[in-house]
Amino acid sequence: MATAAAMVTSAIEPEQSSLWSDAWRRLRKNRMALVASVYLALLVAVALVALVYTPYRMSAIGIAPTYSGPSAAHWFGADELGRDILSRLMVGAQVSLIVGVGTQLLVLAVGVPIGLMAGYFRGWFDSVVTFVINVFYGIPDVLVAMIMVFLLGPSLNNIIIAIVATRWMDMARLVRGQAFSLREREFVEAGRASGAKPFKMLFGHILPNALGPIIIQATLGIPSAILFEAFLSFLGVGVQPPTPSWGSMANEGVLAIQYAPHMVIFPSVALSLTLMAFNFLGDGLRDALDPRSRR
Amino acid sequence: MFTRGTLIYIAQRIVLIGFTVLAVSSIVFLGIHRLPGDALFNEKLRGQAYQVLLHHYGLDQPLYLQYWNFIVGVVTRGDLGESLVNRGTRITPLVLRETLVSAQVGGFALIFTIGLGLILGMVAAVRQNTWLDYVLTTTSVIGYSMPNFVIAAFLILVFGIWLGNITGGTFYYQLGGWRGDIGQLWLPAFALGFPYASIVARLTRASMLEVIRQDYIRTARAKGLTESVIMIRHALRNALIPVITILGPLVIGIITGSVVIENFFGIPGLGKEFAQSILNRDYAIVIGVFTMYAALVGLANLLVDLAYVVIDPRIRY
Repeated sequence: MATAAAMVTSAIEPEQSSLWSDAWRRLRKNRMALVASVYLALLVAVALVALVYTPYRMSAIGIAPTYSGPSAAHWFGADELGRDILSRLMVGAQVSLIVGVGTQLLVLAVGVPIGLMAGYFRGWFDSVVTFVINVFYGIPDVLVAMIMVFLLGPSLNNIIIAIVATRWMDMARLVRGQAFSLREREFVEAGRASGAKPFKMLFGHILPNALGPIIIQATLGIPSAILFEAFLSFLGVGVQPPTPSWGSMANEGVLAIQYAPHMVIFPSVALSLTLMAFNFLGDGLRDALDPRSRR
Repeated sequence: MFTRGTLIYIAQRIVLIGFTVLAVSSIVFLGIHRLPGDALFNEKLRGQAYQVLLHHYGLDQPLYLQYWNFIVGVVTRGDLGESLVNRGTRITPLVLRETLVSAQVGGFALIFTIGLGLILGMVAAVRQNTWLDYVLTTTSVIGYSMPNFVIAAFLILVFGIWLGNITGGTFYYQLGGWRGDIGQLWLPAFALGFPYASIVARLTRASMLEVIRQDYIRTARAKGLTESVIMIRHALRNALIPVITILGPLVIGIITGSVVIENFFGIPGLGKEFAQSILNRDYAIVIGVFTMYAALVGLANLLVDLAYVVIDPRIRY
């Protein structure tokens, strides 16, 4: 089926298209991924706007009747201290995005070099890395993160560090596998034969060819990091007040679920939509970058 | 099924679990004692009374002696010490009782997760590329995008508040009954299992799609078997093998997910104790709960590995 489709397109448009423009074309056809990207662009815009403007100060208490529902002055209502929920949600978007993107950048910085070297050089270094990865996989991530936050103290930086400590092996293992198979290919041998240094081999030849799976993994890692932060905040060991996090807002809302359900509904919906958007985008990227792996 | 080799393997694993548990409790024990302050500070005792309490818990001894006594207590008597907040409460029986409660909720969630996931995945595969398939695959992305506490909040809103008290107004799980009360358990179990049910459904769908294109399925059709017999007895059994691979992460996910869900529904299990003891700064219980969790996760992994042997006879240890 795939080859038939390829034949048809090549007959119609004879000019060559690179992997990336090909992937871009496939991604644009994926309606869910497109909707998700639009939503995420809006979310980033909201988070940026919240840097300079929120309808009310997010920590100002008593500016609305406590527990009051949505109204014209306060679109999403107020919480148990009379704080404006819309303003808090906007600042919460910053927290979620910083945690999601920040952890994945760190995971890339840690996992990619380790995975590349382990897969390319093999030998004792590979054995050590594989062993460490397996040890980390043996301990449940939530417990590791909670121990770390518990011992380091709860703050945004420590939460990010804790999440990276439980997530870096996903990336390292993936990159190691890619490097493992890529090093046997002819172009790598050609590169080595023409005298390229190991550094040049790793980052100039192996890495660009493993970029597709890495991008997919990083995109799908963002929602799991956001979920992790919400989970920690929900338990009260996450971001500390007055900084709002969607997880801690949902936690406060649960206590008032009987008479002020809007307090739990709005943060929950924001959180779910964001996680969903990242997952749809990641799935779309997978289909676009690796057309053979159909779900 | 269990050969001599398998039994040796099990024994090795159990020894390994023992060492892991000891390592985890040591790390937490030593880590906690670096933290400033302690639970006894909260009591605002001065002078003599404070010293008496310190002596009662052995906190006046040097750290290496405390650690040695702790390890000896754990190894020889299985004794995890005494709660710092609720004086006189021994931690080992407390943690064991809570584990039983958690196991009921978790076991129910597990059955529910696998059952629902398999059914949905199978239906989606059999009806591939129909509207039903699209609805189910989209729902599964939504399913694993929703944090379990969000699902729990909406379940309580809908069934506990808007639809009136279907569950009798309380989610508090009554202690004492061995089987618990299904009427109280199904909401927490659903919230705990639904994200994983989505993942199981996705995997089942993918592996079913591969299996039902194979020759032996065509043979079964040619023999004139009914479609349901082919799907359930011939296809599903082989489609299950890739699904088992996520059984390990799934069980661990349910164990850790219970931390949130038990707090949410007020279920007096291990997960609730875990979060409460951290917030109460009851360090003795924190150590005990971490120790119990390490043991549970090790045992769960072992059971999952043994499940491979049962389901796929080609695997041997």
